[in-house]
Amino acid sequence: MTELPSSGGARLAGPPDVDPGATPSIARQGLVRLVVLYMSSRRILIALAAVVALAAGLRIAAHWHWDTYGALQLPLIVETACATVVAAATVSPFGGQERASGHWLPMLRLGAALGLTTWAVIALAAAGAGVHMSGGFLVMTRNVAGIAGLALLGATALGGGLAWVGPVGYLVVAVYSLYAQWHGGGPSTPWIWPARPLADAGAWLCAGAVFAAGMTLITVRGAKDGT
Amino acid sequence: MIATAPPVRQQPGSRTNAVLSGGRLLRLELRHSAMLAMLPLTAVLFWFNAYRPSMAEPPLWSLRAPTMQHGALLDFLLPVVGAAAWMGAREHRRGVTDLAEIVARARWIRQLYAWAAVTGWALAGYLVCVGVLYAVTAAQAPWGGPLWWPAVVGAAGLPALAAVGFAAGSCFPSRFMTPLISIGVFFLVGMSVNLTHGGTSFWQISPIIAGAVDIGADPGVATFYPYLPDLPIAQVIFLAGLTAAILGALGCAVASGGRALRATAAAICLAGLVAAATAIGFAGTARLDRHGMMVISALHDAANDQPISYTPACSKGTLPVCVNPAFAAYLPLVASALRPVVSQVAGLPGAPDRILQAAPTFTQEPHDAIGVGVGGVAGARYARGLRVVGAGLPDQLPGERQPDVTSAQYASQVRAQVGDAVVGYLLRTGKHDSPAQEAVRAGLLKAAGVRLIPPGQRPDGLGRTARGLVPGTAAYRSAMRFAALPTATRRAWLSTHLTALRAGHITLAQLP
Repeated sequence: MTELPSSGGARLAGPPDVDPGATPSIARQGLVRLVVLYMSSRRILIALAAVVALAAGLRIAAHWHWDTYGALQLPLIVETACATVVAAATVSPFGGQERASGHWLPMLRLGAALGLTTWAVIALAAAGAGVHMSGGFLVMTRNVAGIAGLALLGATALGGGLAWVGPVGYLVVAVYSLYAQWHGGGPSTPWIWPARPLADAGAWLCAGAVFAAGMTLITVRGAKDGT
Repeated sequence: MIATAPPVRQQPGSRTNAVLSGGRLLRLELRHSAMLAMLPLTAVLFWFNAYRPSMAEPPLWSLRAPTMQHGALLDFLLPVVGAAAWMGAREHRRGVTDLAEIVARARWIRQLYAWAAVTGWALAGYLVCVGVLYAVTAAQAPWGGPLWWPAVVGAAGLPALAAVGFAAGSCFPSRFMTPLISIGVFFLVGMSVNLTHGGTSFWQISPIIAGAVDIGADPGVATFYPYLPDLPIAQVIFLAGLTAAILGALGCAVASGGRALRATAAAICLAGLVAAATAIGFAGTARLDRHGMMVISALHDAANDQPISYTPACSKGTLPVCVNPAFAAYLPLVASALRPVVSQVAGLPGAPDRILQAAPTFTQEPHDAIGVGVGGVAGARYARGLRVVGAGLPDQLPGERQPDVTSAQYASQVRAQVGDAVVGYLLRTGKHDSPAQEAVRAGLLKAAGVRLIPPGQRPDGLGRTARGLVPGTAAYRSAMRFAALPTATRRAWLSTHLTALRAGHITLAQLP
C-alpha cells in the first residue's frame, strides 16, 4: 500500500491521524484525502465516466427503431453493464496489506459501491427521461440494484476482476426470459426479476435480497484478492 | 536443488524442437486459460438458452438446427469474449509486461497461443454441446439428416469472438474492459437481428442469423429442398476474415516482434479485411428464394435448387393422405382432420387418388411480411398416372414454441386449407367459376365442417376458415341447401352431374 504522509494526511489504520489539539478542519482534510486516495485506487472516476457513457449510449440507442425484443432487452443490457462497472471498481491494487490495516475500509467500500450504484440509477434515469423505456424507472432501479448485488457477490467470491462472470451469465438468462415472457411462457421465478412485471413483489424481494447480500459482503469482506 | 549436469542444449533451428516447444507452450496456455473455468457456465447457458428452446420444437432438423444457431452463439459469446479479454490483459494485470518482452518468443506469437487456447476450449465446449443436441435430434427426427451449416457458422464464430475479446483486453488492459467489451459485443451481435429488414440487409452477415429473418425456423424450409449454404458460406468467410484481421492487427504493433513478423501480420490483417468486406458485400446481395432460404448469386450452386426426393408417408383408406416423412408424426392428425372432406369426395368421378403435401413457397412482402403459398410436389415419389392433389399444410405445427397452435386449431386449419384444395380439385375450380360451382364448393366445405367467411370479411387470423359466399344471394342459398342434403343424396347427384358442373353447364336452379 502506498505510504501516506503523516502530516495532515490520513491512514486507513484508524481514524484520521489527528493530534488531540488539532482543529476539526485538519481532521476533515484528512478524511477527504483518505476518500480521494481510495477513489483513486479503485478508479472510481473512470467508473463514473463509464456509467455516464453507457447511459449516453442508451439514450442514443433509444432513438433508433427497435422491434419488440430489442425494446425489451436493450435497457437490461445497459443495466447489466452498469452493474459490472460497479463491481469492477472494487478491485484493490494493494491486497492484504490494505486489508490488514484499514479500519475505515468497510465504510469506504460501502460508500463506493452504494454511491456507484446510485450514480448508475441516476444516470440511467436521466438517459430514459422523455423517452419510453421498457419497464420504466422503478423496474430499472430494481434491475440495477439486483444485478449490482449479484456482481458484488461475484467480487467477494471471485475477485473484482472476475465479478462480471455472474452478471453476464445472468444477462443471458434474463434476456431469454424476457423474450419468453413476452410470448406468454418462460420461467416465472422471481429470481429472474428482470423478466417480472413491476408489481411482482417477489421479484422486488429477490432483487433486494441479492443487493443487500452483495452490499453486506463487499462491505465486510471486500473483493477477493489475487486475480 | 543443485544442478549436477548442464541442461541438454537443443539444436537451434530444429523444426522438431520448434514444434515441441510450441506444443509445450500451447499446453501451458490450455492449462491456464480462463476459458476452461468458463466452460461449466457456458454449458449451463447453452442448456438454458439453446438446448431447451431447440428441444421444445418438434423433432425436425429445419426447426431445431436454426434455433440452435441463434441461441448457441449468444450463449458462448459472453464467456468467450470475457475469457479472451481476461487472457489478453493477463501480462498487464500481473505486471509482467516488461518481463515477458525478453522471452524467446515474439509477443505476437505468445498472444496467438493464448488466443488459440481460449478458442480451443470454446470450440471443444461448443462441439460437446452441439453434439449432444444433434445426437438427441438425430434419435428423434423421423426423416432427414443433420443440417451442418448452422453448426459450422457457430463454430466459425467462436475464433472471431475470442479474437475480438483478446484484442480488446490486450490493447486496453483496464479492469473495466473485460465486462464492457463482453456486453458490448453481446449487444452488437444480439441486436443485429433488429437491424435486418425486408430480406435484404448487410446485417445478415451476423452469425446468429440462420436464414431468412422474417421467416425464422420453419418446418417447410430445407425439408423439400436442400438447405442453401449461400448465406452460411458468406458468414463463415466474414468470420474467418474478421478473425484474421483482428489477429493480424495485433501483430502490427512495434512491440509484437521483428520486421518480418510484423509484415506477415499486416498481410494477414489485410487479407482478413478483404475477406470480411467481400463477405459483407455478398450478404447485402442475398435475396429470399421461393423455398424460404437466402440466395446469394455469387455463391449459389444451381444443383441445390433440385427438390429432395422422398417417399411420402401415407394414411390408409379410399383416399390416402400423404405427407413428407419429416411430418410423419402429424399424419394421423392430418388424416383425421381431413376425414369429413374425404368422405364427401372419395370415389366420385375425377376425384383425386391421393392428397399429397406440397412444398410451401415464400415471398418477401413489404414491412418485413412474408407471403406463404403452395408449391409443387416435385420431390415426392408416387405412381405416375395417379390423380394427385397437392396441398400445403399450415405453416405452424402444433408443439412449435411460437406462436402456439393447439392440435385442435391445427386440425381446423388443415380441414379448411387442404379441404378447400381437395374440393377445388374435384370441381376443377379456377379463376372464373360458375355460380353453381361456387355454390357446390361452399356446400361441400360446409358439409365437411369448414367454417366459411363471406368475401370482404376478415378471416380468423389462424387460417381455420375458407372463402364463402355473400349471405342472402342465390348462390349462398343454394350452397346452404346443398350442404343440408343427406350425404348419399349429395354424392349421387355429384356422380351424375360432376362433368357438366365442371364444364359450367349447370345453373344454380339445377342444383338440388
